[in-house]
Amino acid sequence: MLIGTELQRAVQDGQEAPGQEARAATRVAELDRRLGDPTDDGNELSYTRLLEADEAGELSEPGERALDELGLGADFVPRAEGGRLERLDTLVRIMRQVFRRDVALGLGYGVTSFMAAVNIWTSGDAAQRACLARILTGGGKVSVAYHELAHGNDFVRNEFEARPAEGGGYLLNGAKQVINNAQRADAWVLFSRTSPAPGSRSHSVLFVERDGLDTDTWQVLPRYDTVGVRGCLLSGLRFDDTPVPASALVGEPGKGVETALRAFQITRSALPGMAVGTTDTALRTVVRFALGRQLYRKSVMDIPHARGTLSGAFVDLLTCDSLSLAATRAVHLLPEQTSVFAAATKYLVPKVLTDAMHELSIVLGARFYIRDGEHGIFQKHLRDMPVLSLGHAGSAACQATIIPQLSRLARRSWFSDEPAPAQLFQPRTDLPDLSYGRLTLASGRDGLSATLVAAVDQLPGASPEERAVQGLALQLVDELRQVQEASRALAPEDRTALARPAAFALADRYAVLLAAASAIGVRQQASHDGGDAFLADPAWLAAALHRLARRLGRRPADLPASVDARVHEEVLRRFHARTSYDLYDTPPAG
Amino acid sequence: MPVPTTGHTTESLTTWLAERIALYLKRQPAEIDPDVPLAEYGLDSVAALSLCGDIEDDFDLVIEPTAAWDYPTVHALAGHLVEELAAEAAKDGGA
Repeated sequence: MLIGTELQRAVQDGQEAPGQEARAATRVAELDRRLGDPTDDGNELSYTRLLEADEAGELSEPGERALDELGLGADFVPRAEGGRLERLDTLVRIMRQVFRRDVALGLGYGVTSFMAAVNIWTSGDAAQRACLARILTGGGKVSVAYHELAHGNDFVRNEFEARPAEGGGYLLNGAKQVINNAQRADAWVLFSRTSPAPGSRSHSVLFVERDGLDTDTWQVLPRYDTVGVRGCLLSGLRFDDTPVPASALVGEPGKGVETALRAFQITRSALPGMAVGTTDTALRTVVRFALGRQLYRKSVMDIPHARGTLSGAFVDLLTCDSLSLAATRAVHLLPEQTSVFAAATKYLVPKVLTDAMHELSIVLGARFYIRDGEHGIFQKHLRDMPVLSLGHAGSAACQATIIPQLSRLARRSWFSDEPAPAQLFQPRTDLPDLSYGRLTLASGRDGLSATLVAAVDQLPGASPEERAVQGLALQLVDELRQVQEASRALAPEDRTALARPAAFALADRYAVLLAAASAIGVRQQASHDGGDAFLADPAWLAAALHRLARRLGRRPADLPASVDARVHEEVLRRFHARTSYDLYDTPPAG
Repeated sequence: MPVPTTGHTTESLTTWLAERIALYLKRQPAEIDPDVPLAEYGLDSVAALSLCGDIEDDFDLVIEPTAAWDYPTVHALAGHLVEELAAEAAKDGGA
């Protein structure tokens, strides 16, 4: 691992051009340095100042200025288009620096533009890609305008219309609601009905630049007030026979649903892991509280329940990061398989992170209800977090992506597919370019769960922690067997969006198993060739699998006491060293 | 083993599709007009993807997951499947 001066020396010596990992580490450090120490009240991007902006319903102005100066827009633009985007796992790592300080800034400055942009990277033509790259590298914003309140995630029913106009081009009619940055974006990606016929071939994606539109025919709708991410500029757009040129069409006419579903595979893989940074801050805030506060003549940290909650939250962060890592790297390595991994990630990661924060709030006690001061950031993060389960694909919509694939996976993949390649689980190794063209809506393949199945065939080591891991893995494989049987037995009517709750529960169990497989893969890879020593230790994995098994309703045997001791020690070490609570253990840039 | 691929006709596939789609829609097969777009019966995009998975399983034929979007009626889909099955049989025969 190259960090700090070591990295600079390597670069200065010019021994070799910096590789992907060096570029990623440099960029993460750049953001951290520029955004500064959030606990320092002298910093204009401190938690205190970010809370003030939130109370005022504004995006932090110094925050936006800092991200402008950092040129963050270029991180959403592929290198081939002149930007900095080369790997999705790296983008997640970079955005964590923003998300650990302020979810609203992460979404409002950047992620909205990224969500819009992937439609163009996956399906746009050269002129559209160049135009978008110019906007984003120049610090501009792009809105993704899919949503119509009346139809929610059932966007095949969307009514917003782009009617072919006489003499070419389209006429836009209708409204889009709850659209981030609608008012200030330089361009919008509009999901539009281009045919009145029902079905999935009646919509198209349009990339519309704001400049040059007939201003009399469109308007920005009033802003929404929200529970969380209060700084985000959520409003809407209304068009009334607004002409746009034929060149606005992205991809083929009528292929909008497919374009959207491909783009979703990228955004659903990448977004949830960014919020690992948010829960990292929540955990850090509560560790500080627990170490400082005295109750019953002990520090809160000495109370077993509190200590166990903190360890549990840390382990959940590692689990979420493992699934996020596998899903984002799968887009590069196993693009044919990513539709289920992405949906599982978008479904499970925000849920586990939110649950962890609720558990942490119990340790924080009454302080979690206080809106300012030393712990005030906690309640803001807790309010902001649910937006990740709502925005652009609700939890149930993600389950509905998995449900039609369950029976095919059960018949064709589980217990017979090849395990995923080792690189899927290596946080710092190089990846091939994104291959958008290989993303498919369903493949019936799943190498990730095969990693879980293969793991139990390996002889466990002699330590109690390794034997605990083995016992838990066996239970999880048994769970996969049950999910397989139940999936095979799903009646056709339970393989639709209107499936019974039992089918949704199957998608939930499967997502948990994919998370377990990811954690197993991460630990396996770390234990080879000088990987991270903590990740190579079976203790965290035993704790992670134990929590996942309990999430599945199982009652696994108690873990050896050494597991919690090891995890607890790491919680404290990272708190004092101020390194990140994720797979990267990133030190502060200083 | 899959059913032999040569024995399928547009008629037999139409019958199979109507029966299968009726299950998705909780209707009787006779209620499914083979020339009416399936979306008009309320067959959602998720069910359309599931249907393509069923076709793969029952006919051992790999088709685009979006086939039911591109061939939106029972007749259109049956016609498409006959062509795909014939192409598959020709490929197997030539191998």
